[in-house]
Amino acid sequence: MEAYSGSRPSGWKKWLLNRFVLVPAAILAVAIAWDLYASTHDDGFVVGQVLDAQGKPVEGADVTLWVFSFTTFAENRSVKTGADGSFRITGNPSHHIQLSAVKPGLGSSQRIPIRLYFRSQNTTLQAPLVLSGKA
Amino acid sequence: MMRRSPTWPIHLALIAVCFVMLVPFYWVLKTSVSGENIFTYPPNIVPQNPNIFYYVDVWYAIPFARYFLNSVIVSAITIAANVVFNAMAGYALTREFHGKGFILILFLSCMMVPFQATIIPAYLITGQLGLLNSYVGLALPQFSTIICIFVFKASFDAIPGSLIDAAKVDGLPEWRIVWTIMLPLAKSAMATNVILSFIWSWNNFLWPLIMTRTPEMQTLPLGLARFLSYQEDTTGALYAFCIMVLAPGILLFLLAQKEFIQGLTSGATKG
Repeated sequence: MEAYSGSRPSGWKKWLLNRFVLVPAAILAVAIAWDLYASTHDDGFVVGQVLDAQGKPVEGADVTLWVFSFTTFAENRSVKTGADGSFRITGNPSHHIQLSAVKPGLGSSQRIPIRLYFRSQNTTLQAPLVLSGKA
Repeated sequence: MMRRSPTWPIHLALIAVCFVMLVPFYWVLKTSVSGENIFTYPPNIVPQNPNIFYYVDVWYAIPFARYFLNSVIVSAITIAANVVFNAMAGYALTREFHGKGFILILFLSCMMVPFQATIIPAYLITGQLGLLNSYVGLALPQFSTIICIFVFKASFDAIPGSLIDAAKVDGLPEWRIVWTIMLPLAKSAMATNVILSFIWSWNNFLWPLIMTRTPEMQTLPLGLARFLSYQEDTTGALYAFCIMVLAPGILLFLLAQKEFIQGLTSGATKG
């Protein structure tokens, strides 16, 4: 008869190294890591740039932040763009927002929907807001 | 030598049944990451532009973390009470005593009475105990379930009586016999108790609806009802909510499925 060569875990290993402990521990570790990441990236910054129809930066355009509220988007705050067309909104309170830009004489942009992974997540727009060119 | 019949037809049939059973789950999962309207024709088999933003919507639309914590606490209390009380009752039913047959018939007949029929006495008793709007009160009606008592009884019946006699000769009291001898030998019954009591507690809607007074004490099924009343366009978010409610139960079942199946079938081949 072949002897049993395997060894059975004993003591603390038996209680800790099993799927009923390891799987919840792994989930807890991921949740803690995610929470740490979220708590260090939730300043509510939204950074982007506004361009005109020819692709040039627009100074002094009004960029408006719209925040989702139950069924509609409500205007939350506005900022003006700098000389290079860039803007930086602070204090975004939501995870589901829209951005729009307007400048008299240069027209307005479409509202850009932005979905965030957590509330007040710092984000930089991948594409600029482009004014239509129609006054 | 006997010729073994091929097993592939059975496997083929099982795969077909599995497919039929899993399609609704896949559909819920797919819709939760795509938000696709369920009336879209032709439907997309593979989700288009999958994302997790509907899960984020659910997380912030209601106090999900609070409801989740409430459900976890109530389920933990229910599981602990079920294992203790059902094991004690199951052990008692393996012993011989006067009126045992009557007790068994009483238990079996009580299984036929739906909870809806006893909910008013349950509410009054919980109120008299001062446990309304509390975690213990939420778990109280499910402290012991008759099905799980019989699961323990079947498992304990399979343990040789000589083992219990030897323990008694050694001077062990009854509660230590249950705790140190019977329960370690009935792990599958324990797993069955844990899973069943968890699922029943986790999905319980009516009792928490009646006995909770404040939103802070509500559990996930109530949160789902509240969520539905908040939002209209809920296709993606509703399915995401369902996944978030279902996930802990599925995870627990996957973790303990071996013991669960053993627990349900223990005693089935006895005799």
